[in-house]
Amino acid sequence: MAGYQAGDFAAATALINRVGPQLHRFFVAQSASRADADDLLQETWLRIHKVRHTYRPGEPALPWFYAIARHVRVDHYRKLVRTSAREQKLDDLPDIPASHVDEPGHAARLDELLAPLPESQREVIEMLKVAEMSLEEVARATSSTIGSVKQKVHRAYEKLRRTIAEAEAKKSRSGALL
Amino acid sequence: MKDNGVVNDKHIDPILDRAAKRPNEVDSARLEAIADSIKASTRPVRALPPAWTLTLGTALVAAAVAIAGAARVGFLGFEKQSTLDRALIFSMLAIFVWLASTEFVSQMIPGSRHRVTPGALLAAAIAALLAMFALLFHDYHMTQFVSLGLACLSTGLLHAVPTALICWLVLRRGFAVNSVAAGLAAGTLGGLAGLAMLELHCTDFEVLHIMVWHCAVVLVSGALGALVGWALRFLPSRNA
Repeated sequence: MAGYQAGDFAAATALINRVGPQLHRFFVAQSASRADADDLLQETWLRIHKVRHTYRPGEPALPWFYAIARHVRVDHYRKLVRTSAREQKLDDLPDIPASHVDEPGHAARLDELLAPLPESQREVIEMLKVAEMSLEEVARATSSTIGSVKQKVHRAYEKLRRTIAEAEAKKSRSGALL
Repeated sequence: MKDNGVVNDKHIDPILDRAAKRPNEVDSARLEAIADSIKASTRPVRALPPAWTLTLGTALVAAAVAIAGAARVGFLGFEKQSTLDRALIFSMLAIFVWLASTEFVSQMIPGSRHRVTPGALLAAAIAALLAMFALLFHDYHMTQFVSLGLACLSTGLLHAVPTALICWLVLRRGFAVNSVAAGLAAGTLGGLAGLAMLELHCTDFEVLHIMVWHCAVVLVSGALGALVGWALRFLPSRNA
């Protein structure tokens, strides 16, 4: 990041190759289509480039990247809502497909797993699990306090527990019928 | 995956971990295109100064506006206060000005640490100030409550708005990822400067006057700041 701030294009390219895929996944996990995620990634990097002077050397870089990515995503959806006047209720997103949850050796897609969660909980889990950020880093990225992040994680796990248990129950019921 | 039919956290973690480890390929051409798009404008930039410098700068702006405003019309309230009044009122104001400055700076630098949200800070400041004024002042008359009150409110706001604007100028190179929260923090900071000016100048020590009209400066200023932040969201291609 210091190299990027110093005007080193190779450092900028290395950052894009390293952080770009993570940010892309962040957008995909936030229920964006791949095409949307591509656009959001492009827009995020343009914004990162514009405000790269706001990164202070010595501070953790990932929360800085994610804070800007989050801003771009929120901005993007606000524009979408304004233009289409059509709002998707996040709580009404589809449940986790039962077949993906518990098959041994099968890893469900993260966006599918997190789909039943509200957006604020989904992004926190995504940052903790995919970006492997600490609670403090997630708090920085989401402009909130550590206590608030812990609360969101707790609620997300509660909801995931319920959803997985329901999916299992449904599966065992259908198995018994067969 | 269940113990006695109950799914718990130790079952969820591996599921999430497995899902998180699934690769997410991004078209390398896409990454190259991004790199190409910034190539021409990649030049050295000067990083923002340390957060404490910016916090000190904005806190000094707030103090300077309050003192300059009171100096223009006289430190009449300060002269009338007891030593205990002065010590409690201005130390509490100093603490909240510092906290509001810290929060405003954090809001203007992405990925900063937040110990408190701007809304909680405003609520805490109002609650603490109301409690302190209720303890210190015991004149329960309501002489010209509305007319004198409105005069104090407008005087306070006349100092709050420039303070918030100057502080915004100090941090103009920053980037607010949440312009409403940043506006609320800036408004709270400005409001505290306006309140400090009133405490230095106003000689009306009726407790209800101070609790309602002086504290309203912080509340109204904070709300105005949030409103401006919200309006900035609608400006095209602005970084708030």
